[in-house]
Amino acid sequence: MNEKIDSPYKRLMAIRGTGQVLTVTGVLIALCIIFGLVNPMFLSGRNAGNLFRQIAPILLIGIGQSFALLLGQIDLSIGSVVGMSCMISATLMTRGSSPLVASLIALLCSLGIGALNGFLISWCKLPAFIGTLGTMTIARGIAQIANNNYNTDSIGKAAEGFRNLFYYGKSLGVYNAIWIAIFIWLIFNFLLTRTKTGRHIYAAGSNQEAARLSGVNVKIVTLKAYLISSFVCCIVGLMATATSGMGTMDAGNCYELYAVAASVIGGISVLGGQGLLFGTVIGASIWGVLQNGLQFAGAPVAIRNIAIGIIVIVSVLVDIVVRSNKGKTVAKAEMTKEE
Amino acid sequence: MKKSLLIVLMALLLVSFGFSQGVAEESGNKKVYLITMDQMDQHWQHVNAGCEKAAKEIGGIDYKWLAPDVKDDNKQIECINNAVAGGAQAILLAANGPTAVTAALKEATAAGVKIIYVDSAADYPSEQILATDNEAAGKTAGTELLKALNAKGKTTGNIGIVTVNAATASTVAREKGFRATFEGTGFNILETQYSNGDATVSKDMSANFITQGVVGLFGANEGCSVGIGNAIKEAGDQVIGVGFDTSDMILSLVNDGYVLCTMAQNPEVMGYEGMKTAAKVLNGETVDKKYVDTGVSVIRKTE
Repeated sequence: MNEKIDSPYKRLMAIRGTGQVLTVTGVLIALCIIFGLVNPMFLSGRNAGNLFRQIAPILLIGIGQSFALLLGQIDLSIGSVVGMSCMISATLMTRGSSPLVASLIALLCSLGIGALNGFLISWCKLPAFIGTLGTMTIARGIAQIANNNYNTDSIGKAAEGFRNLFYYGKSLGVYNAIWIAIFIWLIFNFLLTRTKTGRHIYAAGSNQEAARLSGVNVKIVTLKAYLISSFVCCIVGLMATATSGMGTMDAGNCYELYAVAASVIGGISVLGGQGLLFGTVIGASIWGVLQNGLQFAGAPVAIRNIAIGIIVIVSVLVDIVVRSNKGKTVAKAEMTKEE
Repeated sequence: MKKSLLIVLMALLLVSFGFSQGVAEESGNKKVYLITMDQMDQHWQHVNAGCEKAAKEIGGIDYKWLAPDVKDDNKQIECINNAVAGGAQAILLAANGPTAVTAALKEATAAGVKIIYVDSAADYPSEQILATDNEAAGKTAGTELLKALNAKGKTTGNIGIVTVNAATASTVAREKGFRATFEGTGFNILETQYSNGDATVSKDMSANFITQGVVGLFGANEGCSVGIGNAIKEAGDQVIGVGFDTSDMILSLVNDGYVLCTMAQNPEVMGYEGMKTAAKVLNGETVDKKYVDTGVSVIRKTE
């Protein structure tokens, strides 16, 4: 017999993944306090705006990677699609396209890579690691030949509107980039928690075979996840073009790994089927706070890398330990009931 | 089963025959390889352009450009080995670091390959070095910034440096020269930030520096300088920025007044003169100048 789950706290904790989200939220608050004490300028209004805007692209790529991880897969092509989107949009803008047309073409190409990922993994049955490894190098190659192996020229004064929309502008006192990230997160969180597709993603990630036998179209669901991932990468690539005012072939370098870190810190399990997209928000925030705060603290770069690595490992360990403990207490409870 | 095995063996024999013929025929042209740090920085594109121009003018040269996809010592070693295996007679090398590639270079010279350094030398003897004196260029950048700060009446304050990484010799030398200029002054240089030359990461780091109240910023290469310029443009804070290299974006930032000046290297001269030296060396001639400083010019806003 199940004990009655009555208090709101217990109800919240009954949702799988909440435990870790709460833990890392505590870590995030602690980090902010520590960095604020070390250098009060960290907590200034100006830095708050910059910090949230630095978190926005990490959150976006985190969303993409989270969808892949929830399926029990991975997307290694994230960084390269960011670079490809940056180069394609910038190259077209320097050749006279309007920012709108350039962005749409970049979007089409990015979704193309996403579809290719889905096709290779679902229909060709390639392991996700291998399939996205291949598209990673392909997309980076496309980024390089987009402007004939050169970084692009400046996208020019005509693109000021584009640059403001994606990066420099503010609406209601908050940077547009932040609004974009929030908006996209709301859409995909809704998709994940309130639609059939979302439930199917969790199901397929928990147990692919069981899901398939229960009528989940695992192939289509996987395709959708990879399309979502490439969509957010396109947006981040456009943000990169807007930030720099030009296309750089190395944009997005290593982003797939940062995306994994953000997801995993937030409690998305790499084994699939578990985790809350809100956790990715916290994970991306911790990432951003570390990068930003350690600079304000005057810490040498090596410390930054070590700190991030430790936090990633500890997050996954916490997840594993808590899960095995839960298993132990449930088993214990059942044994005492039988006596 | 036996028949198909026989056919495969015959095919292999024919192919190996073909290989030996091929090697014998190619003795005419001189094989010269250019190996840079990566293939993405505009800087290397210019070196390559210089090499191609010279190769065309001189004639009789089989020219190839190899580079890793990112700045990495081990990947550059692979390129050197590939060049030697490909029959290179001379290699123009932009060494990623001073000591990492020396073993590969030793093997190359043992195979008879002539080494010429372009842009960055390694700690290994060569026929000639054509480079920007990066430390001197860093000093020039520092002097320009110091002059401008003093002209505004500032003698104290924080300065921020955004550079590539701690291993790439050229940018390390530039930072060294830059820091040397500020020794003994009232200015304090904050902890250097490494962005790997990524323009968006550099912009974030520069924005953080500006929030910390720096009065001056230095970008040690193309990507870093674009980042610094964009951050200064956004902040509108009267921070003075000095950069390196001259891409279209950097020049527009200079002309719009967001970056005070940038150090323009002469990568095309490096490639052009380097190729000419390679041809001379392969012809058996002696090279008189061991070190050619291709120099920097300070590019300011065009009036």
